[in-house]
Amino acid sequence: MPETRADNVIMQKVRDGDLAKMAVLFERHHRALFRYFLRLTGNHGFAEDLVQDVFFRIMKYRATYRDGSPFTSWMYQVARNAYLDGVQKRKVETPLLEENVPEPASSEPDPSEILRRRQDLGLLRRALAALPVEKREVLVLSRFQNMKYDQIADILQCDVGTVKVRVYRAIRALSQIFFELAGEKAS
Amino acid sequence: MTCDQVKEQIADYLAGALGPADTEELREHFAQCAACKQEAELLSATWESLGLLEHEQPSEAVRPRFYESLEAYRQGLEAAAPAPARRRFFGWRLRSFQLAWSAALLIAGLVLGQWFGERRHGQADLARLQDEVQHMRQLVTLSLLQQQSASERLRGVDYAYRVQESDTQVLTALLHAVNHDPNVNVRLAAVDALHRFADSPAVRGTLQQSLVKQDSPLVQIALIDFMVDTRDKGAVSALATLERSSTANQNVKEKAVWGLSQLQ
Repeated sequence: MPETRADNVIMQKVRDGDLAKMAVLFERHHRALFRYFLRLTGNHGFAEDLVQDVFFRIMKYRATYRDGSPFTSWMYQVARNAYLDGVQKRKVETPLLEENVPEPASSEPDPSEILRRRQDLGLLRRALAALPVEKREVLVLSRFQNMKYDQIADILQCDVGTVKVRVYRAIRALSQIFFELAGEKAS
Repeated sequence: MTCDQVKEQIADYLAGALGPADTEELREHFAQCAACKQEAELLSATWESLGLLEHEQPSEAVRPRFYESLEAYRQGLEAAAPAPARRRFFGWRLRSFQLAWSAALLIAGLVLGQWFGERRHGQADLARLQDEVQHMRQLVTLSLLQQQSASERLRGVDYAYRVQESDTQVLTALLHAVNHDPNVNVRLAAVDALHRFADSPAVRGTLQQSLVKQDSPLVQIALIDFMVDTRDKGAVSALATLERSSTANQNVKEKAVWGLSQLQ
Protein backbone atom coordinates (compact mmCIF):
# COMPACT_ATOMS: atom_id res chain seq x y z
CA MET A 1 0.00 0.00 0.00
CA PRO A 2 1.53 3.31 -1.02
CA GLU A 3 2.32 5.59 1.87
CA THR A 4 1.95 9.19 0.86
CA ARG A 5 3.61 12.05 2.59
CA ALA A 6 0.37 13.96 2.21
CA ASP A 7 -1.37 11.56 4.57
CA ASN A 8 1.07 12.46 7.29
CA VAL A 9 0.62 16.16 6.71
CA ILE A 10 -3.16 15.81 6.72
CA MET A 11 -3.11 13.79 9.90
CA GLN A 12 -0.95 16.44 11.57
CA LYS A 13 -3.59 19.00 10.66
CA VAL A 14 -6.32 16.79 12.07
CA ARG A 15 -4.30 16.36 15.23
CA ASP A 16 -3.89 20.12 15.48
CA GLY A 17 -7.64 20.66 15.35
CA ASP A 18 -8.61 20.73 11.68
CA LEU A 19 -11.13 17.90 11.93
CA ALA A 20 -12.62 18.64 8.52
CA LYS A 21 -9.47 17.06 7.03
CA MET A 22 -10.69 13.72 8.36
CA ALA A 23 -12.83 13.58 5.23
CA VAL A 24 -9.72 13.33 3.06
CA LEU A 25 -8.32 10.47 5.11
CA PHE A 26 -11.68 8.71 5.06
CA GLU A 27 -12.02 8.96 1.28
CA ARG A 28 -8.51 7.64 0.78
CA HIS A 29 -8.56 4.75 3.18
CA HIS A 30 -12.04 3.54 4.05
CA ARG A 31 -12.30 1.02 1.21
CA ALA A 32 -8.95 -0.58 2.02
CA LEU A 33 -9.87 -0.72 5.69
CA PHE A 34 -13.19 -2.29 4.82
CA ARG A 35 -11.49 -5.04 2.82
CA TYR A 36 -9.01 -5.59 5.65
CA PHE A 37 -11.83 -6.06 8.16
CA LEU A 38 -13.95 -8.10 5.78
CA ARG A 39 -11.10 -10.56 5.28
CA LEU A 40 -10.53 -10.76 9.01
CA THR A 41 -14.16 -11.11 10.06
CA GLY A 42 -15.94 -12.48 6.99
CA ASN A 43 -18.90 -10.32 7.99
CA HIS A 44 -19.91 -7.34 5.85
CA GLY A 45 -21.83 -5.44 8.51
CA PHE A 46 -19.22 -6.01 11.18
CA ALA A 47 -16.50 -4.84 8.78
CA GLU A 48 -18.40 -1.61 8.10
CA ASP A 49 -18.92 -1.02 11.82
CA LEU A 50 -15.19 -1.46 12.37
CA VAL A 51 -14.39 1.05 9.62
CA GLN A 52 -16.53 3.63 11.42
CA ASP A 53 -14.86 2.76 14.68
CA VAL A 54 -11.38 3.28 13.23
CA PHE A 55 -12.16 6.80 12.02
CA PHE A 56 -13.86 7.61 15.29
CA ARG A 57 -10.76 6.41 17.15
CA ILE A 58 -8.51 8.45 14.88
CA MET A 59 -10.48 11.54 15.86
CA LYS A 60 -10.57 10.60 19.50
CA TYR A 61 -6.89 9.68 19.81
CA ARG A 62 -5.56 12.19 17.27
CA ALA A 63 -3.31 13.72 19.90
CA THR A 64 -1.26 10.51 20.02
CA TYR A 65 -0.20 10.80 16.37
CA ARG A 66 3.48 11.74 16.22
CA ASP A 67 5.04 13.97 13.59
CA GLY A 68 6.73 12.04 10.83
CA SER A 69 5.41 8.62 11.72
CA PRO A 70 3.88 6.78 8.74
CA PHE A 71 0.16 7.44 8.82
CA THR A 72 -0.93 4.15 7.25
CA SER A 73 1.01 2.07 9.76
CA TRP A 74 -0.44 4.10 12.60
CA MET A 75 -3.94 3.76 11.16
CA TYR A 76 -3.61 -0.02 10.89
CA GLN A 77 -2.41 -0.21 14.46
CA VAL A 78 -5.60 1.63 15.40
CA ALA A 79 -7.50 -0.77 13.15
CA ARG A 80 -6.01 -3.84 14.83
CA ASN A 81 -7.04 -2.54 18.23
CA ALA A 82 -10.53 -1.78 16.94
CA TYR A 83 -10.75 -5.31 15.55
CA LEU A 84 -9.57 -6.95 18.78
CA ASP A 85 -11.97 -4.87 20.88
CA GLY A 86 -14.80 -5.48 18.43
CA VAL A 87 -14.32 -9.23 18.45
CA GLN A 88 -14.18 -9.26 22.22
CA LYS A 89 -17.41 -7.30 22.41
CA ARG A 90 -19.27 -9.38 19.88
CA LYS A 91 -17.69 -12.68 20.78
CA VAL A 92 -17.29 -13.29 17.08
CA GLU A 93 -14.14 -15.20 16.37
CA THR A 94 -15.10 -17.28 13.39
CA PRO A 95 -15.88 -15.53 10.13
CA LEU A 96 -19.48 -15.80 9.10
CA LEU A 97 -18.84 -16.28 5.38
CA GLU A 98 -21.72 -14.19 4.29
CA GLU A 99 -19.89 -12.47 1.47
CA ASN A 100 -21.32 -12.21 -1.98
CA VAL A 101 -18.28 -12.54 -4.12
CA PRO A 102 -18.72 -11.69 -7.76
CA GLU A 103 -17.94 -14.25 -10.33
CA PRO A 104 -14.32 -13.97 -11.41
CA ALA A 105 -13.73 -12.44 -14.80
CA SER A 106 -13.16 -15.21 -17.25
CA SER A 107 -12.91 -15.62 -20.97
CA GLU A 108 -13.54 -19.33 -20.52
CA PRO A 109 -16.84 -20.15 -22.18
CA ASP A 110 -17.12 -23.66 -20.74
CA PRO A 111 -19.76 -23.58 -17.97
CA SER A 112 -18.22 -26.54 -16.16
CA GLU A 113 -14.90 -24.70 -15.96
CA ILE A 114 -16.61 -21.58 -14.59
CA LEU A 115 -18.43 -23.72 -12.06
CA ARG A 116 -15.19 -25.39 -11.00
CA ARG A 117 -13.51 -22.03 -10.52
CA ARG A 118 -16.39 -20.75 -8.46
CA GLN A 119 -16.26 -23.85 -6.31
CA ASP A 120 -12.52 -23.41 -5.89
CA LEU A 121 -13.00 -19.82 -4.79
CA GLY A 122 -15.64 -20.96 -2.33
CA LEU A 123 -13.20 -23.46 -0.90
CA LEU A 124 -10.50 -20.82 -0.79
CA ARG A 125 -12.75 -18.50 1.22
CA ARG A 126 -13.56 -21.33 3.60
CA ALA A 127 -9.89 -22.17 3.92
CA LEU A 128 -9.04 -18.54 4.65
CA ALA A 129 -11.78 -18.41 7.26
CA ALA A 130 -10.47 -21.58 8.88
CA LEU A 131 -6.99 -20.12 9.21
CA PRO A 132 -6.05 -18.92 12.72
CA VAL A 133 -6.53 -15.17 12.90
CA GLU A 134 -2.83 -14.33 13.34
CA LYS A 135 -2.02 -16.21 10.12
CA ARG A 136 -5.01 -14.75 8.32
CA GLU A 137 -4.02 -11.25 9.34
CA VAL A 138 -0.50 -11.43 7.93
CA LEU A 139 -1.86 -12.75 4.63
CA VAL A 140 -4.51 -10.05 4.51
CA LEU A 141 -1.94 -7.33 5.05
CA SER A 142 0.54 -8.70 2.53
CA ARG A 143 -1.75 -10.06 -0.15
CA PHE A 144 -4.91 -7.98 0.03
CA GLN A 145 -3.58 -4.70 1.38
CA ASN A 146 -0.44 -5.01 -0.75
CA MET A 147 1.81 -3.91 2.06
CA LYS A 148 5.56 -4.30 2.06
CA TYR A 149 6.93 -6.57 4.73
CA ASP A 150 8.71 -3.75 6.54
CA GLN A 151 5.42 -1.88 6.82
CA ILE A 152 3.71 -4.98 8.17
CA ALA A 153 6.53 -5.32 10.66
CA ASP A 154 5.78 -1.75 11.80
CA ILE A 155 2.12 -2.56 12.29
CA LEU A 156 2.67 -5.89 14.01
CA GLN A 157 5.59 -4.44 15.94
CA CYS A 158 8.02 -7.20 15.10
CA ASP A 159 11.04 -7.50 12.79
CA VAL A 160 10.83 -8.05 9.04
CA GLY A 161 12.26 -11.56 9.27
CA THR A 162 9.47 -12.59 11.58
CA VAL A 163 6.90 -11.24 9.13
CA LYS A 164 8.41 -13.27 6.28
CA VAL A 165 8.39 -16.44 8.34
CA ARG A 166 4.76 -15.80 9.28
CA VAL A 167 3.79 -15.23 5.67
CA TYR A 168 5.46 -18.49 4.64
CA ARG A 169 3.75 -20.43 7.41
CA ALA A 170 0.40 -18.78 6.73
CA ILE A 171 0.34 -19.48 2.99
CA ARG A 172 1.50 -23.02 3.64
CA ALA A 173 -1.25 -23.57 6.19
CA LEU A 174 -3.79 -22.05 3.83
CA SER A 175 -2.73 -24.38 1.03
CA GLN A 176 -3.02 -27.39 3.32
CA ILE A 177 -6.49 -26.43 4.51
CA PHE A 178 -7.59 -25.74 0.96
CA PHE A 179 -6.53 -29.16 -0.25
CA GLU A 180 -8.03 -30.87 2.77
CA LEU A 181 -11.34 -29.17 2.00
CA ALA A 182 -11.02 -30.04 -1.67
CA GLY A 183 -10.33 -33.67 -0.70
CA GLU A 184 -13.43 -33.75 1.54
CA LYS A 185 -15.51 -32.37 -1.27
CA ALA A 186 -14.15 -34.87 -3.77
CA SER A 187 -14.64 -37.89 -1.49
CA MET B 1 21.29 -22.51 -1.32
CA THR B 2 19.81 -25.00 1.15
CA CYS B 3 16.18 -26.03 1.46
CA ASP B 4 15.90 -24.02 4.72
CA GLN B 5 17.24 -20.93 2.99
CA VAL B 6 14.62 -21.40 0.27
CA LYS B 7 11.89 -21.32 2.90
CA GLU B 8 13.27 -18.02 4.18
CA GLN B 9 13.05 -16.60 0.66
CA ILE B 10 9.58 -17.84 -0.18
CA ALA B 11 7.73 -14.81 1.22
CA ASP B 12 9.79 -12.43 -0.93
CA TYR B 13 9.47 -14.80 -3.89
CA LEU B 14 5.66 -14.73 -3.63
CA ALA B 15 5.54 -10.96 -3.28
CA GLY B 16 7.89 -10.48 -6.24
CA ALA B 17 10.34 -8.76 -3.94
CA LEU B 18 13.39 -10.91 -4.71
CA GLY B 19 16.29 -9.36 -6.56
CA PRO B 20 17.49 -10.89 -9.84
CA ALA B 21 20.46 -12.62 -8.23
CA ASP B 22 18.35 -14.24 -5.49
CA THR B 23 15.71 -15.26 -8.02
CA GLU B 24 18.31 -16.92 -10.15
CA GLU B 25 19.75 -18.72 -7.16
CA LEU B 26 16.29 -19.93 -6.23
CA ARG B 27 15.67 -21.26 -9.72
CA GLU B 28 18.95 -23.12 -9.64
CA HIS B 29 17.87 -24.76 -6.42
CA PHE B 30 14.49 -25.70 -7.88
CA ALA B 31 16.25 -27.33 -10.80
CA GLN B 32 17.99 -29.66 -8.35
CA CYS B 33 15.30 -30.08 -5.64
CA ALA B 34 11.91 -31.39 -6.76
CA ALA B 35 10.38 -31.07 -3.25
CA CYS B 36 11.16 -27.36 -2.94
CA LYS B 37 10.05 -26.73 -6.50
CA GLN B 38 6.76 -28.49 -5.92
CA GLU B 39 6.12 -26.60 -2.69
CA ALA B 40 6.94 -23.25 -4.29
CA GLU B 41 4.57 -23.96 -7.16
CA LEU B 42 1.81 -24.95 -4.79
CA LEU B 43 2.25 -21.87 -2.59
CA SER B 44 2.45 -19.61 -5.64
CA ALA B 45 -0.81 -21.04 -6.96
CA THR B 46 -2.54 -20.39 -3.63
CA TRP B 47 -1.04 -16.90 -3.46
CA GLU B 48 -2.27 -16.09 -6.96
CA SER B 49 -5.73 -17.52 -6.26
CA LEU B 50 -6.13 -15.12 -3.35
CA GLY B 51 -5.99 -12.32 -5.89
CA LEU B 52 -9.35 -13.46 -7.26
CA LEU B 53 -11.05 -12.55 -3.99
CA GLU B 54 -10.32 -8.82 -4.21
CA HIS B 55 -13.62 -7.38 -5.35
CA GLU B 56 -15.57 -6.35 -2.28
CA GLN B 57 -16.73 -2.80 -1.69
CA PRO B 58 -18.42 -1.29 1.36
CA SER B 59 -22.08 -0.37 1.03
CA GLU B 60 -23.26 3.13 0.19
CA ALA B 61 -24.28 3.62 3.82
CA VAL B 62 -20.68 3.85 5.01
CA ARG B 63 -20.04 7.33 3.65
CA PRO B 64 -23.06 9.21 5.07
CA ARG B 65 -22.60 7.41 8.35
CA PHE B 66 -19.03 8.66 8.61
CA TYR B 67 -19.90 12.25 7.70
CA GLU B 68 -22.75 12.33 10.22
CA SER B 69 -20.41 10.97 12.84
CA LEU B 70 -17.73 13.53 11.95
CA GLU B 71 -20.20 16.39 12.13
CA ALA B 72 -21.62 15.23 15.45
CA TYR B 73 -18.10 14.89 16.84
CA ARG B 74 -17.14 18.37 15.71
CA GLN B 75 -20.31 19.85 17.14
CA GLY B 76 -19.71 17.98 20.38
CA LEU B 77 -16.21 19.41 20.63
CA GLU B 78 -17.36 22.91 19.84
CA ALA B 79 -20.13 22.69 22.39
CA ALA B 80 -17.72 21.39 25.01
CA ALA B 81 -15.03 23.97 24.30
CA PRO B 82 -14.71 26.10 27.44
CA ALA B 83 -14.66 29.89 27.33
CA PRO B 84 -11.14 31.35 27.33
CA ALA B 85 -11.39 32.55 30.93
CA ARG B 86 -12.18 29.01 32.06
CA ARG B 87 -9.78 27.25 29.77
CA ARG B 88 -7.10 26.90 32.43
CA PHE B 89 -9.52 25.30 34.85
CA PHE B 90 -11.17 22.95 32.37
CA GLY B 91 -8.24 22.55 30.01
CA TRP B 92 -7.65 18.84 30.37
CA ARG B 93 -8.32 16.49 27.50
CA LEU B 94 -11.18 14.10 27.83
CA ARG B 95 -9.73 10.62 27.66
CA SER B 96 -13.01 8.82 27.87
CA PHE B 97 -16.70 9.34 28.15
CA GLN B 98 -16.60 8.02 31.67
CA LEU B 99 -14.07 10.70 32.52
CA ALA B 100 -16.29 13.31 30.91
CA TRP B 101 -19.24 12.20 32.97
CA SER B 102 -17.14 12.06 36.12
CA ALA B 103 -16.12 15.62 35.39
CA ALA B 104 -19.76 16.56 34.93
CA LEU B 105 -20.59 15.03 38.29
CA LEU B 106 -17.69 16.87 39.88
CA ILE B 107 -18.89 20.14 38.45
CA ALA B 108 -22.42 19.34 39.53
CA GLY B 109 -21.02 18.85 43.02
CA LEU B 110 -19.36 22.22 42.78
CA VAL B 111 -22.63 23.76 41.68
CA LEU B 112 -24.44 22.22 44.62
CA GLY B 113 -21.61 23.26 46.89
CA GLN B 114 -22.05 26.78 45.64
CA TRP B 115 -25.76 26.59 46.16
CA PHE B 116 -25.76 25.21 49.67
CA GLY B 117 -22.46 26.53 50.89
CA GLU B 118 -21.23 29.89 51.85
CA ARG B 119 -22.32 31.47 48.58
CA ARG B 120 -19.07 33.31 48.20
CA HIS B 121 -19.53 33.63 44.49
CA GLY B 122 -22.21 35.52 42.73
CA GLN B 123 -25.06 34.34 40.61
CA ALA B 124 -23.04 34.82 37.43
CA ASP B 125 -20.47 32.23 38.51
CA LEU B 126 -23.20 29.80 39.39
CA ALA B 127 -24.90 30.20 36.03
CA ARG B 128 -21.56 29.70 34.31
CA LEU B 129 -20.92 26.45 36.15
CA GLN B 130 -24.41 25.21 35.44
CA ASP B 131 -23.80 25.99 31.80
CA GLU B 132 -20.61 23.96 31.96
CA VAL B 133 -22.51 20.99 33.37
CA GLN B 134 -24.91 21.21 30.47
CA HIS B 135 -22.02 21.25 28.01
CA MET B 136 -20.55 18.17 29.62
CA ARG B 137 -23.87 16.35 29.56
CA GLN B 138 -24.30 17.24 25.94
CA LEU B 139 -20.82 15.97 25.08
CA VAL B 140 -21.40 12.69 26.88
CA THR B 141 -24.78 12.23 25.20
CA LEU B 142 -23.55 12.97 21.70
CA SER B 143 -20.48 10.84 22.13
CA LEU B 144 -22.38 7.84 23.47
CA LEU B 145 -24.91 8.07 20.66
CA GLN B 146 -22.08 7.55 18.18
CA GLN B 147 -20.73 4.43 19.80
CA GLN B 148 -20.60 1.14 17.94
CA SER B 149 -22.16 -0.79 20.79
CA ALA B 150 -25.95 -0.65 20.98
CA SER B 151 -25.84 -0.70 24.79
CA GLU B 152 -23.60 2.38 24.76
CA ARG B 153 -26.00 4.13 22.41
CA LEU B 154 -28.85 3.23 24.76
CA ARG B 155 -26.89 4.92 27.53
CA GLY B 156 -26.59 7.93 25.24
CA VAL B 157 -30.36 8.06 24.89
CA ASP B 158 -30.66 7.81 28.66
CA TYR B 159 -28.27 10.74 29.10
CA ALA B 160 -30.37 12.74 26.68
CA TYR B 161 -32.94 13.12 29.47
CA ARG B 162 -30.39 15.14 31.40
CA VAL B 163 -29.79 17.84 28.82
CA GLN B 164 -31.92 20.93 28.43
CA GLU B 165 -34.95 20.67 26.22
CA SER B 166 -33.62 23.49 24.08
CA ASP B 167 -30.51 21.50 23.10
CA THR B 168 -30.90 21.18 19.36
CA GLN B 169 -27.78 19.06 18.85
CA VAL B 170 -29.03 16.34 21.15
CA LEU B 171 -32.44 16.64 19.57
CA THR B 172 -30.91 16.14 16.13
CA ALA B 173 -28.93 13.15 17.37
CA LEU B 174 -32.08 11.56 18.79
CA LEU B 175 -33.98 12.08 15.55
CA HIS B 176 -31.09 10.57 13.67
CA ALA B 177 -31.18 7.57 16.00
CA VAL B 178 -34.90 7.07 15.35
CA ASN B 179 -34.35 7.14 11.60
CA HIS B 180 -31.04 5.40 11.20
CA ASP B 181 -29.97 3.39 14.22
CA PRO B 182 -29.61 -0.28 13.22
CA ASN B 183 -30.79 -1.44 16.64
CA VAL B 184 -34.56 -1.45 17.27
CA ASN B 185 -34.16 -1.00 21.03
CA VAL B 186 -32.14 2.17 20.51
CA ARG B 187 -34.77 3.48 18.10
CA LEU B 188 -37.56 2.73 20.59
CA ALA B 189 -35.67 4.42 23.42
CA ALA B 190 -35.03 7.44 21.23
CA VAL B 191 -38.75 7.74 20.43
CA ASP B 192 -39.49 7.73 24.18
CA ALA B 193 -36.80 10.32 24.84
CA LEU B 194 -38.28 12.59 22.18
CA HIS B 195 -41.48 13.05 24.21
CA ARG B 196 -39.72 15.93 25.96
CA PHE B 197 -39.29 17.65 22.63
CA ALA B 198 -42.82 16.98 21.40
CA ASP B 199 -43.69 20.67 21.18
CA SER B 200 -41.13 21.13 18.43
CA PRO B 201 -42.70 21.21 14.95
CA ALA B 202 -39.45 19.81 13.55
CA VAL B 203 -39.73 16.76 15.80
CA ARG B 204 -43.33 16.16 14.85
CA GLY B 205 -42.62 16.57 11.16
CA THR B 206 -39.59 14.28 11.21
CA LEU B 207 -41.42 11.56 13.10
CA GLN B 208 -44.38 11.75 10.72
CA GLN B 209 -42.01 11.12 7.84
CA SER B 210 -40.26 8.41 9.79
CA LEU B 211 -43.51 6.53 10.45
CA VAL B 212 -43.89 5.44 6.85
CA LYS B 213 -40.21 4.71 6.29
CA GLN B 214 -39.55 2.58 9.38
CA ASP B 215 -38.94 -1.11 8.75
CA SER B 216 -39.68 -2.16 12.32
CA PRO B 217 -43.38 -2.62 13.30
CA LEU B 218 -42.40 -2.08 16.94
CA VAL B 219 -40.96 1.34 16.19
CA GLN B 220 -43.96 2.22 14.03
CA ILE B 221 -46.33 1.34 16.86
CA ALA B 222 -44.25 3.40 19.29
CA LEU B 223 -44.40 6.33 16.86
CA ILE B 224 -48.19 6.06 16.59
CA ASP B 225 -48.44 6.07 20.40
CA PHE B 226 -46.21 9.14 20.42
CA MET B 227 -48.46 10.93 17.95
CA VAL B 228 -51.61 10.10 19.89
CA ASP B 229 -50.02 11.01 23.24
CA THR B 230 -48.92 14.37 21.91
CA ARG B 231 -52.22 14.98 20.08
CA ASP B 232 -50.34 15.55 16.85
CA LYS B 233 -53.14 16.16 14.38
CA GLY B 234 -50.57 16.76 11.67
CA ALA B 235 -49.89 13.03 11.77
CA VAL B 236 -53.27 12.16 10.28
CA SER B 237 -51.93 12.13 6.76
CA ALA B 238 -49.03 9.81 7.63
CA LEU B 239 -51.36 7.48 9.53
CA ALA B 240 -53.75 7.36 6.60
CA THR B 241 -50.88 6.53 4.25
CA LEU B 242 -49.84 3.72 6.54
CA GLU B 243 -53.38 2.40 6.77
CA ARG B 244 -53.57 2.20 2.98
CA SER B 245 -50.13 0.70 2.58
CA SER B 246 -50.11 -2.77 1.05
CA THR B 247 -46.74 -3.63 2.56
CA ALA B 248 -47.22 -2.48 6.16
CA ASN B 249 -47.50 -5.00 8.96
CA GLN B 250 -51.15 -5.86 9.78
CA ASN B 251 -50.78 -4.95 13.46
CA VAL B 252 -49.29 -1.61 12.46
CA LYS B 253 -52.17 -0.95 10.10
CA GLU B 254 -54.68 -1.70 12.86
CA LYS B 255 -52.74 0.60 15.17
CA ALA B 256 -52.84 3.31 12.51
CA VAL B 257 -56.63 2.97 12.29
CA TRP B 258 -56.79 3.33 16.06
CA GLY B 259 -54.51 6.37 15.92
CA LEU B 260 -56.69 7.99 13.30
CA SER B 261 -59.78 7.44 15.45
CA GLN B 262 -58.03 9.13 18.35
CA LEU B 263 -56.84 12.15 16.43
CA GLN B 264 -59.83 12.89 14.19
